[in-house]
Amino acid sequence: MKHILIVLLCLSLTSAWAQNPAPAGPQQKAIALLGGTIHTGTGQVITNGYITFDKGVITGVGEASAMNRNTGDVQVIDVTGRHVYPGLISPASLVGLQEIASVRATVDSREVGVLNPNVRSLIAYDSDSDVIPTIRNNGILITQAMPIGGTVSGSSSIMHTDGWNWQDAVLRKDDGIWLNWPGYYARDFDMETFQSVVKKNDKRDEAIRAVQLVFAEAKAYAEGTTPATTNLKFESMRGLFTGKQNLYVRADYAKDIIEAVRFAKAAGVPNVVIVGAEDVDKVTGFLKENSVPVILSPLHRLPNREDEPVDLPYRLPGILQKAGVMVGLSYSEEWWRTRNLPFLAGTAVGFGVSDREEALKMVTANTAKILGIDGQVGTLERGKQATLVVSKGDILDMRTNVIEQAFIQGRQLNLDDKHKRLYNKFKTKYGK
Amino acid sequence: MRKHLLLLLLAVGLAQSGLAQTTFPRNGVYDERPNLYAFTNATIVVDPKTTLQNATLLIRNGRVEAVGNTVSVPAGAVVMNLQGKRIYPSLIDLDSDYGMPDLPPRRGGGLFNTPPQLESNKKGPYYWNQAIQPEADAGLLFKVINPKAEELRKLGFGAVLTHAHDGIARGNGTLVTLADDRENTVVLRNGLSQHFSFSKGSSGQNNPNSIMGVVALLRQAMYDADWYKKNGPAEQANLSLEALNRAANLPAFFEAGDKFGVLRADKIGDEFGRQFIIRGGGDEYQRIDEIKATGATLILPVSYPQAYDVEDAWDADNVSLAEMKHWEMAPANPGMLAQAGIPFALTSSGLKTRTDFMANVRKAIENGLTEAQALEALTTRPAQLIRADDLLGTLAVGKLANFIVTSGNLFAADNVIYENWIRGKQYILANRAIADLRGTYDLNITPQAGTSNLKLLITGNNPDKPDFGVTANDTIKLTPKVAIDNNLVSMQVALDKKQPNALTRLTGYRNGSTLQGDGQLPNGQTVTWSATLSKPFSASATKADTTKKSTMGGLLYPFVGMGNAKKPQPQTLLIRNATVWTNEKDGIMTTTDVLVSNGKIAQVGKNLTAPTGASVIDGTGKHLTNGIIDEHSHIALFSINEGSQSSTAEVRMSDAINPDDVNIYRQLAGGVTSSQLLHGSANAIGGQSALVKLKWGEPADGLLIKGADGFIKFALGENVKQANWGDANRVRFPQTRMGVEQVYMDHFVRAKEYAKAWNAYNAQSNTPKARGKNATATLTAPRRDLELDALAEILAKKRFITCHSYVQSEINMLMHVADSLGFKVNTFTHILEGYKVADKMAKHGAGGSTFSDWWAYKMEVKDAIPYNAALMAREGVTVSINSDDAEMARRLNQEAAKTVEYGGIAEEDAWKMVTLNPAKLLHLDSHMGSIRPGKDADLVLWNNHPLSIYARPDYTIIDGAIYYSQTGDEQNRVAMQAERARLIQKMIQAKAGGQTTTRPTARRQRMWHCEDIEGVMAEGENK
Repeated sequence: MKHILIVLLCLSLTSAWAQNPAPAGPQQKAIALLGGTIHTGTGQVITNGYITFDKGVITGVGEASAMNRNTGDVQVIDVTGRHVYPGLISPASLVGLQEIASVRATVDSREVGVLNPNVRSLIAYDSDSDVIPTIRNNGILITQAMPIGGTVSGSSSIMHTDGWNWQDAVLRKDDGIWLNWPGYYARDFDMETFQSVVKKNDKRDEAIRAVQLVFAEAKAYAEGTTPATTNLKFESMRGLFTGKQNLYVRADYAKDIIEAVRFAKAAGVPNVVIVGAEDVDKVTGFLKENSVPVILSPLHRLPNREDEPVDLPYRLPGILQKAGVMVGLSYSEEWWRTRNLPFLAGTAVGFGVSDREEALKMVTANTAKILGIDGQVGTLERGKQATLVVSKGDILDMRTNVIEQAFIQGRQLNLDDKHKRLYNKFKTKYGK
Repeated sequence: MRKHLLLLLLAVGLAQSGLAQTTFPRNGVYDERPNLYAFTNATIVVDPKTTLQNATLLIRNGRVEAVGNTVSVPAGAVVMNLQGKRIYPSLIDLDSDYGMPDLPPRRGGGLFNTPPQLESNKKGPYYWNQAIQPEADAGLLFKVINPKAEELRKLGFGAVLTHAHDGIARGNGTLVTLADDRENTVVLRNGLSQHFSFSKGSSGQNNPNSIMGVVALLRQAMYDADWYKKNGPAEQANLSLEALNRAANLPAFFEAGDKFGVLRADKIGDEFGRQFIIRGGGDEYQRIDEIKATGATLILPVSYPQAYDVEDAWDADNVSLAEMKHWEMAPANPGMLAQAGIPFALTSSGLKTRTDFMANVRKAIENGLTEAQALEALTTRPAQLIRADDLLGTLAVGKLANFIVTSGNLFAADNVIYENWIRGKQYILANRAIADLRGTYDLNITPQAGTSNLKLLITGNNPDKPDFGVTANDTIKLTPKVAIDNNLVSMQVALDKKQPNALTRLTGYRNGSTLQGDGQLPNGQTVTWSATLSKPFSASATKADTTKKSTMGGLLYPFVGMGNAKKPQPQTLLIRNATVWTNEKDGIMTTTDVLVSNGKIAQVGKNLTAPTGASVIDGTGKHLTNGIIDEHSHIALFSINEGSQSSTAEVRMSDAINPDDVNIYRQLAGGVTSSQLLHGSANAIGGQSALVKLKWGEPADGLLIKGADGFIKFALGENVKQANWGDANRVRFPQTRMGVEQVYMDHFVRAKEYAKAWNAYNAQSNTPKARGKNATATLTAPRRDLELDALAEILAKKRFITCHSYVQSEINMLMHVADSLGFKVNTFTHILEGYKVADKMAKHGAGGSTFSDWWAYKMEVKDAIPYNAALMAREGVTVSINSDDAEMARRLNQEAAKTVEYGGIAEEDAWKMVTLNPAKLLHLDSHMGSIRPGKDADLVLWNNHPLSIYARPDYTIIDGAIYYSQTGDEQNRVAMQAERARLIQKMIQAKAGGQTTTRPTARRQRMWHCEDIEGVMAEGENK
């Protein structure tokens, strides 16, 4: 740690650049992290463990004593007293799509129009965003870049928080299509009281019928022979009906959740994910029966209603866990706060999730499963990608979430970021 | 209906005006009449306390000449026998806009991306602000509008106090009758009252655009009027101020809107030695003690909320318990206030449907108001309030002959108001001569029309408009069409149910208790018929059941779902065996006891003994800390920014406190006990802060920390120069950081001069000797300027600055301005580039209150770093971590913990950043911010290490009273669920019983941040 700091300090003193560090090159040599506490993301904790990885893939995890030390040229890194975690995954994120909220020129998340399934967040992902290294520094190595406009917003892609460009950073292209479910209640604004009013949405049926028709046509299009006229919107939706792509539906109100799931099933979409789900405590049974997973709105929000229990948002992950519904946590729209994602999981532990490892799953293994990337990432298991972090302590707690090393596909990241650069710059001002 | 209209027209056309109009020429022949009427054999309610049976009322020329049981009727009087009828003094409404012009629509003023209107659009020698129009003269504006008068006459009103409901100072009121006459006889007295409100009405001027701005503007106008009286005219002519001064001794009415407004309005009155008569909102029962303490007489509406559609369990969640309880309790408002001895008059204003007025008064009576109180509130009290009790309110001799003739008890459901007499002129509302025909009649048609054993049923509450039915053989029910007019009867009925279009038509007349005549069967055959009364109508059979009194839930403090059934009280508490974070030299003490009594920390130590009566809380395995103090908060406020001008130093956030904001409770659940409620950052010099303790249940004044220093918000950067406000907002100075500096220079230079002028004046008036020696040099008092007062306080070190700031250049600028003008910046808040200038801040003596890790939301925060707190702290700056966000405030312990992650601050010091340090920055550390005997017992018992993500409060204690406990919270949830369930059942029943209901809509409270402005939508609020 000290060494890294010194190195960084030197870098910042000697170089005039104020750019994010270069992405790491491919893993050159096998690495073994030895002696730390390994949180595998499967619920297992190995207190004195090892993890080895080579060519970007995990080759072994286990008790330190069980490590095979005769496998040739291995760089052994002592992580005694440290904690090793799978790289955290931030789904439903605007990282890379927005830079400064109030500067319109830097905001690329909301396309105009109602039905834009063909719009791809992938190509707008700015791998040079100043925000990206800051979230990596709290353990987030994977984000899902999502579009948010219109009714059908477009398709998301799953990105690494390191890479020269979007082609370089992508983990899974066009993993799903995003649908803003026309709400049973619509938010309106009362000009007299300047209050936001939530009232029944009278235009809802019309909107739903339009969505149903588009999906029916897209399905017919996908199932038909090569069409005479290519429809880019329908082309982009093909994967929904084969299960290759998820349908992510943003719905909060309980009735909307039920209807959205019913709609997806009726439309022939096998994989549906509910995103937001702020009233999900009412429909846990339904979600369980239908095996529908949930990506929750950021827990650090206020209750929606005056009479709701003050801690209801904090308790939702625990409620879903108990009900047996697969749940992932998100930092959705406030992308620059994404680095607090691990603390959402920590909060969930304080409010009903059974233990820290279960909460950890909600930002690693569960999310990977929901996004369909669990074959590659999400847990520390042999054969998976070596996308992991080493933390000074409990990654879910602010006091100990100090990321000392991070690897994406075995590539060791430079953990410098804009904030550290400014910190170091001004430490020199004060001679410290 | 048509019949009544006709009658009315006849009455108007044939009767001449009751009053002579001597100054007017006449087209035609003089028709002066004696206007002498005697109403005999009536039950006369002379006033709410005096009812005469079988009495006579004698009126002449529009006045009461005699009333009593022994009045002799003079010759020449028209005698009206009111046997079985009642006479009441007619009702008076004090909150009326009858006859006033319609309000022009509000335009401009920065609303919805229109350019700001910085000056008044009203041309003339008036006040600078368009919302202050005390010169408005209701007498000049008034015009008789008979359809509107008629609407009120039908309800029993005879006179109203009307005024133009436009603006904050609305001018004077005029007392008018509701007669349909020339204005000269309708206006009784002009300029007998003065009117105010919190609404700027049609004014499109930007200022004021917040409730605290409204209060400040009105206060300033009143101070200006005072100044104008003494020295003003020498400088300027101002008809607005003249009007204010002219009206200074008149009864003053204040439309306050709701319970909070009532208290706020009264406070303004107190400052100027005036007792306003306050128009409330119908929710005063929720703060009855405080409202009683104002000593104000109220004007109360009888408008009640509708029940909600709550059949759907999920949809019903969108209705809050407070809304449901208010639905239940609003009709009890007048009764509860009367019970508490709070005087009031009732008004028909504020009703969605004015014809509901009497029914709603009746609801108030069913819910605890007595009939005498209701009558008083509609007659004598309003007359007294406008000092017109020599004219109105009772039927005593000499008063105006304004009275109504009713069928019975005015407040009974089946009462009919027959006539409304205004200044001796009759307005017929219903025909009192009409016979009560209700009853069951044997209906005979000869020759028999095929159906036998016919009965005619005349029923209903109102003998004037009875319901008709025909039965055959007691089983078949037929609905005839019947018209009875001047004893003529016309009826059409289909006697064969299978042939509904085959009408038998019967026409005839009333002959005593028999109806008879002839008619035709559907086939044209002529018949004769008669209907003979067999059973008289019995009213009790259909009378609504008003005896059944429903149970009502209790009050809550505050009146929201999470409110307390009883306000928490300080206790003697012993917290045992906790890890105590003292914030003192002792540091973090393990296995330690803390004793609390009389709201203070009494003892800190090991193995303390519990005094008798003490509650003991086991703190084993837990951490006891000070309550969190949020240096930068915008919760519990109705409004944040008076952003209309570059300086609004005159506004006070204490005028905008909403003690019912559920975020108070939510933050207690996060361990927050005190907050600085700050003005927003829309202008360079914002408003004066309110320092509060989160005493959930107390009224606004009960939250304020007594004896706290005064603070004021300043702001720099993008918000001040309106950088993100859209293209319409490129008018207000300043639009650049260059201009911001000049705003400060200008205001402080003026404040210095102002302070100097006052000092000179005070020095002189305080030393009579000096004045005697040099009598010619006597200075007059400078104009009191609330804005400059606040700035002069800063210069005198009696008020302290919290400045919203981001970028180093402007931070340095303000410190430079301050140094050069001799004041200090107490605290820079946000101060996201504080790390760049921490050395200078330390030298200046400014503290820094910052976010832990916010950035990237706008251009000026692009260099914000989470290491900011650590860097500033290490340079010797007193650093606190604040929220500026209702959600984050409930996790400030976590935010403090981030300084451990970013910059490696020691845990004990990190904790001080949300407790002791903000106490220091707010000058509260002498009695708050650490755990030491003698300090305020503002404590939190955490279930875990307080900086840990896993920690949550078990108890939050303020001044020794438990305001939150985890177990209490859980109990509340259960109780709330039960109360909701009871009310939902009651609403469903009410709907089944025919009450109109409304769809649930959830009002989401706006969460304020410091850049939010009323009238400007926050991000995400436009759909």
